[in-house]
Amino acid sequence: MLYDLIPHIINGLALGLLFALLALGFMLIIGVMEVINLAHGSLFALGAYIALVVMTPDGGLPFAFMQPYYDLPVIPRYIIALIVGPIVVGVVGMGLEICLRRTYGKDPLYGLLLTFGAAMVLEEGIREIWGSSEYALPIPRGISGGFIAGDLIYSNYRIYAAIFSAAMIGVLWVFLNKTPYGAVIKAGAHDSEMVRALGYNLKRLRLYVFAFGAALAAIAGIIMAPIWGIRPVVGVDAVVPAFVVIVLGGVGSFWGSVSAGILVGLVVGLTAAFLTDWSLLSMYLLLLAVVTFRARGLAGKASVLEA
Amino acid sequence: MAITRRKFLKNTALAGAAGGAAFMGPWKHNRVHAAGSAKPIKIGLTHDASGQFANSGQAEKRGTIMAIQEANEKGGVLGRQVEYVWMDTETNPQTGTRVAERMITRENVHFLAGAIQSGTANAISQVAQKYGCVYFNTNSSSPTESGKNCHRVKFVWDGNGENFARAAARNAINAFGKNWMLIYNDYVWGQNTNAATKKVAVGYGAGVVDEVAVPVGTRDWSSILLKIQQAKPDVVAAAVGGDDFKVMRQQVKDMGLDSKPAWINNQQDWPDVYGLGADAAFGVFGTTWYHYLDAPGVGDFVKAYQTRYPTTRINVPGNVTYNGYVAMRELLRVVEEVGSTDNLKVIKALEGRKMSAADRMQHHDAYIDPNSHHVQQTIYLAEGNKAPRDKSDYFKILSSSDPESIRASADGVCGLESYADTPSYDQG
Amino acid sequence: MQAMEYDKKQTAAWITPPMLIAFAVFATLPLWIETVGLYEYLAVEVLIWVIFAMGFNLLLGYGGLPSFGHGAFFGIGAYAFGLAQFNVWANLWFCLAAAIFVTAVIGGIAALFLSHRRGIYFALMTIAVGQIFYFIASKWTTVTGGEDGMLNIKRLPVDFGLVEFSIKSNVGLYYLTFGLFVVVTLLLWRLTNSPYGRVLRAMKQNETRVAFIGYSPRLYKWSVFTLSCAIAGLAGGLFAMAQEGAYINIMSLQWSGTIVLIVLIGGGFVSFWGPLLGVIFYFVSRDVLGAYTDTWLLWFGLIFMGLVMFKPDGLAGIWRDYIGGRKAKSEQSGNPATVASGR
Repeated sequence: MLYDLIPHIINGLALGLLFALLALGFMLIIGVMEVINLAHGSLFALGAYIALVVMTPDGGLPFAFMQPYYDLPVIPRYIIALIVGPIVVGVVGMGLEICLRRTYGKDPLYGLLLTFGAAMVLEEGIREIWGSSEYALPIPRGISGGFIAGDLIYSNYRIYAAIFSAAMIGVLWVFLNKTPYGAVIKAGAHDSEMVRALGYNLKRLRLYVFAFGAALAAIAGIIMAPIWGIRPVVGVDAVVPAFVVIVLGGVGSFWGSVSAGILVGLVVGLTAAFLTDWSLLSMYLLLLAVVTFRARGLAGKASVLEA
Repeated sequence: MAITRRKFLKNTALAGAAGGAAFMGPWKHNRVHAAGSAKPIKIGLTHDASGQFANSGQAEKRGTIMAIQEANEKGGVLGRQVEYVWMDTETNPQTGTRVAERMITRENVHFLAGAIQSGTANAISQVAQKYGCVYFNTNSSSPTESGKNCHRVKFVWDGNGENFARAAARNAINAFGKNWMLIYNDYVWGQNTNAATKKVAVGYGAGVVDEVAVPVGTRDWSSILLKIQQAKPDVVAAAVGGDDFKVMRQQVKDMGLDSKPAWINNQQDWPDVYGLGADAAFGVFGTTWYHYLDAPGVGDFVKAYQTRYPTTRINVPGNVTYNGYVAMRELLRVVEEVGSTDNLKVIKALEGRKMSAADRMQHHDAYIDPNSHHVQQTIYLAEGNKAPRDKSDYFKILSSSDPESIRASADGVCGLESYADTPSYDQG
Repeated sequence: MQAMEYDKKQTAAWITPPMLIAFAVFATLPLWIETVGLYEYLAVEVLIWVIFAMGFNLLLGYGGLPSFGHGAFFGIGAYAFGLAQFNVWANLWFCLAAAIFVTAVIGGIAALFLSHRRGIYFALMTIAVGQIFYFIASKWTTVTGGEDGMLNIKRLPVDFGLVEFSIKSNVGLYYLTFGLFVVVTLLLWRLTNSPYGRVLRAMKQNETRVAFIGYSPRLYKWSVFTLSCAIAGLAGGLFAMAQEGAYINIMSLQWSGTIVLIVLIGGGFVSFWGPLLGVIFYFVSRDVLGAYTDTWLLWFGLIFMGLVMFKPDGLAGIWRDYIGGRKAKSEQSGNPATVASGR
């Protein structure tokens, strides 16, 4: 029994890291700006589509002059996608933040509603540009395929994705805690007056934080694309677990969200293995159970969102 | 000549303004049109353009419109032009009900056609039955469509999950082995299809090592795939549909689990695989038609499609477009034959109707079961093509099953409304 | 939250001029709806959604509690109506009562988990609750029919003891719905203008202060949630008859979000009539927009974003500005949300 369990625990952990990656951008925006960004999923999807444009002629730029570029090996194109995707989506995020400015200082519900509308617009926009059909993102040969070790069969890409997620979590933590920019962002989360007093432009800070959050969504979108596939509704698949992770972990807590991601991964992974028909529900039951007893999730702090 | 919706709306707006002066009361009295010979025959198309089945909805729409245009180019039906009006049903029953009501009571269509998702199809067919309007369900493959939820006005044109299960299971036992694991989406289509697979497989001597119900909306299959690896079955029979199937397909290939064990996937719709490359399809699966079928007329049909839709991303027709096309073509033929758009006349002509293999570009003759209104047709088994002849050649056709050998038992529970209980409907 | 305010003054009146206008418009609607190019079924659907939206606004607008799981209760009402009809007693009044009762009970149980949550936490928890019910309905196919739907639900005759009316036609069903709409409107109007309504509004402004005065915010939250679920159940029961079936899609997160959107577009935060305006706007514009463009959702999303940005008080707010009534106070009112959080 225990022997059977080990592969599932490893799988659950890997899955958990992916859930945490999904939630990073969502967490940053909600933690610093106290905006529930329901467009997170659409930005996630947009990231995957931009990567598609960068990597294949199917993405919408089937021009002859682009051909030499598409003939490049997969690896450089993949790296370019991982750079261009977040930048483009970051710019879209900036546009969204500018729209959001009109809702600051009002009920947080308005920010949520605006991003709900933006999610609708982005998803329909994607449908208009790329259509409804399924696309696949090519991945470098080195990280594709699967391997079998005893009873554990696993995909190389998932190992790569889990390591990538762990690295992103680490980089973000270092950025927030060990750099002056991070210090300002964190100050912004706790007390916007202090940021002003320190002589920083709060307006610009929020613009950049939102762009950063959107870029993180895009990175998650590109990483998840080979696992989930690319279609317009893929954003809904992303935003729901992201919100579960955030509420479970507690709004405003970095490690709360990361540990919630891993917890959700383990619970979903193990129920999928042993009580498969309840696997989707398990995530919500976990949330309900935890939040019933710990109102602010695992590690949440009081925030304006409770008004 | 099909009019565009914009133009159409203008026309009705004018007609509305003219007719508005005299209020006509309930719709029933509205139906008495002056049936001039020039009045076009109008078809209401209920194809999805958004929601989960947007892509397939648009594929079947291309097929139905193609059949309408071809009829018009041959001089129309009953000497009248055929028009269509299309509205997005959004893969959503609520919208399906509203669109059907609007089509019948406001657009005054003669017939309705189009559906993928069974709930939306049921919503449309209940409205259609209430008014008596003949409705073609072109692409739902839920066994309940021509079983428990059948209707006198509804005709079901796709093979259903049970047909595919029968075709696949029978052949797979001998080829792959007797240790079976069953995986299915935990909703009506998955449950019914799985039950059918199990019955057939056990009947032929297979043993079921495990049976796994997977919730709809599952985006991570790793745990389930690990479970398969641990159970080591010879065969995995999967009844997984929609986006879940696309995700599962991706992850199975990613883990390298696609060649062993042997997979039996119930059905592979062309719009769900097209664009992903010839290696995307895996396992053995069913289909009703393929563009490289060795049957007369197939090549011409593909050419005609490409001439009509030169810029469509899906540049070869697949089973979904095919179902839409042959269904609409048959409807227009029947109207021509009975010389009327009267619903009961059309229904009676459709019931038991035989359609030759050559005419339908398949290998066996097809017919419409008069007791369930389900089109009994050839089901092909296919697998991913390792030696494609061109970029579009994803499938390798393995075998074909004649309709009688794969008949769905679900059709047996269908109880159609009597003719007397079906309102007479004719928009003139 | 000074930006969002109803008329301060409560009234003892049972009937008001806007009410008379609404009743007159809806009472005559079937007579002229085809003349304006629409159709009777649309009127039925609109009116059912008006009932649902007005009940929902009791929670959202008056209580300040954004539920993103209310589609689930609409769906439960529809299933309950169908089950009562098939398994217990095929009587219209009984089945409607069953739809209301069952939905209220289930909503009341859900509310136990929600009534001590505030603000966005409340919203996020309602998403989870809605998803749980959606999941159960999808899985429990022997009862609900899953994605096939629960079919062949009958439009039961309206039985008044001595006389009986058929509602098989859309017009018949419409007038039954209209009658219930009048009843619901009067009840909600009196409720929002009662002491209960006053506490509700005060609680939305400042929950802590309400607690100090001696009212239990939990009890009020619980009761208003349950009440709005009961009304959702009534609407769901009517909708089951309109569609002659109950389908799962309505319980999805997407539709739960849509009802929030509808109510806010209409101006549910500033007006009793906001939800009504929102429903009319939503259904008519999608019918008209949808006939002209395949991408109506894109345009609708843009309109919605524009409204949230520039006219957060919605259609009712625009109307109020237009008739030169009291100007909607907006941005300049500082940062009330932070104040209200009491930190």
